[in-house]
Amino acid sequence: MSEPTDSDLNLAPREVVPTAARGKKKPWFAYAVLVLALGAGGLFVAKFLTNAIDYYCNVDEIGHKSGCDVGRNIRIQGVVDKGSISKAGSVTNFTVTFHGASMPVVLSSKPTGLFQECIPVVITGKVVGADDGTQYFEGNEVLVKHSEDYDKENKDRVATANGEAAACSQKG
Amino acid sequence: MNLTSSPSPTSGARAKHPTSTRFTRALGIAALVGIGWLVLFGLFLSPNDRVQKTGVRILYIHVPSAWLAYLAFGVTGLSSAAYLWKRTRNLQWDRLAGASAEVGVLFMGITLVSGSLWGRISWGQFWTWDARLTTTAFLFVTYIGYLAVRDLGGTHQQRAKRSAVMALLAMLEVPLVHFSVKWWRPLHQNETVEKGKLNGLMLFSLFIGLISFTLLYVWLVIHRQRVLALNDQVDDRGLDLALAARREES
Repeated sequence: MSEPTDSDLNLAPREVVPTAARGKKKPWFAYAVLVLALGAGGLFVAKFLTNAIDYYCNVDEIGHKSGCDVGRNIRIQGVVDKGSISKAGSVTNFTVTFHGASMPVVLSSKPTGLFQECIPVVITGKVVGADDGTQYFEGNEVLVKHSEDYDKENKDRVATANGEAAACSQKG
Repeated sequence: MNLTSSPSPTSGARAKHPTSTRFTRALGIAALVGIGWLVLFGLFLSPNDRVQKTGVRILYIHVPSAWLAYLAFGVTGLSSAAYLWKRTRNLQWDRLAGASAEVGVLFMGITLVSGSLWGRISWGQFWTWDARLTTTAFLFVTYIGYLAVRDLGGTHQQRAKRSAVMALLAMLEVPLVHFSVKWWRPLHQNETVEKGKLNGLMLFSLFIGLISFTLLYVWLVIHRQRVLALNDQVDDRGLDLALAARREES
């Protein structure tokens, strides 16, 4: 091979050839996804710290546990008492019980999901005092807290009835 | 089983299906049959629940997809550890980690969507910020972030090292999600299968879901891992061509 002369040299910029160091996708897309993921992650951490750790107070903790104060916006959990559900216009009244403590609830929204008697529920609202000195829970939303128990429908009517009775009498 | 089989593009019949082998075809058929069984048992043969009625059938999608997401992220973590350990360092581990994370994100997405639909039926709401849901959503975006980190550029080795470190950190979240129902007070229910609260055809349908989704996971990961290997080959050949071009110029 002869030595190249000046006239043989091509000084024009070379075309960039893809190499292993370059991904086929544009990195800005990956950076954008990463920024979005970081933003969403930050939001979820904030939600976890402010909302998820103590998602609710049990009925027996109201007024006793820190964060479960009367007059403050909280969520309470208890089992809906059998025969306690009644409706008056747009308001639904029922009582929830947990570990022997009961709380009447006045719910301003329509119950959804699997809401029924003898089922654990979480209600958002606040404890307020009635004129007669008693307390009740002024709820604006109810969520049904389904248990981990699954049972075949109509497997055994006696067993089902017994189970329902037991669930309602346990109250948590 | 050779996960990294990447046949030559010129090798006749295999070139038509560069990521498939007889084994993966059999696996794919088995997964398909399993999903058929899942549809049959999940939708028609298993009974309604006493409280949730027909809404219980979402269980047969929701729980297996969550389990598979955990498995996928576990495989990603272990493969990443294998890459970081010098004695086993090989890009095959990195590609397995990436493929498993992609499939894991898919299953986690299915978990979130199916859980949201189930929540609407059962709780009365699509979403709430309880401990299980919030940690699951956090896990989901963590692995989306992991996939983004894999695509930030650099050499294959740089990609493998940075994503392996992130995968090991991200894997710590999996027990956090799983035990969130024990450690905190969520709206989400506690463990069902571990406590023996599911039985008969309901348990059998869930079992079919777990098996068929696991087969689907393995099938997807093998194919995706081979696609990633082919992508790396394309990148490497681009580098080889560039080097050859430079040598010709000199």
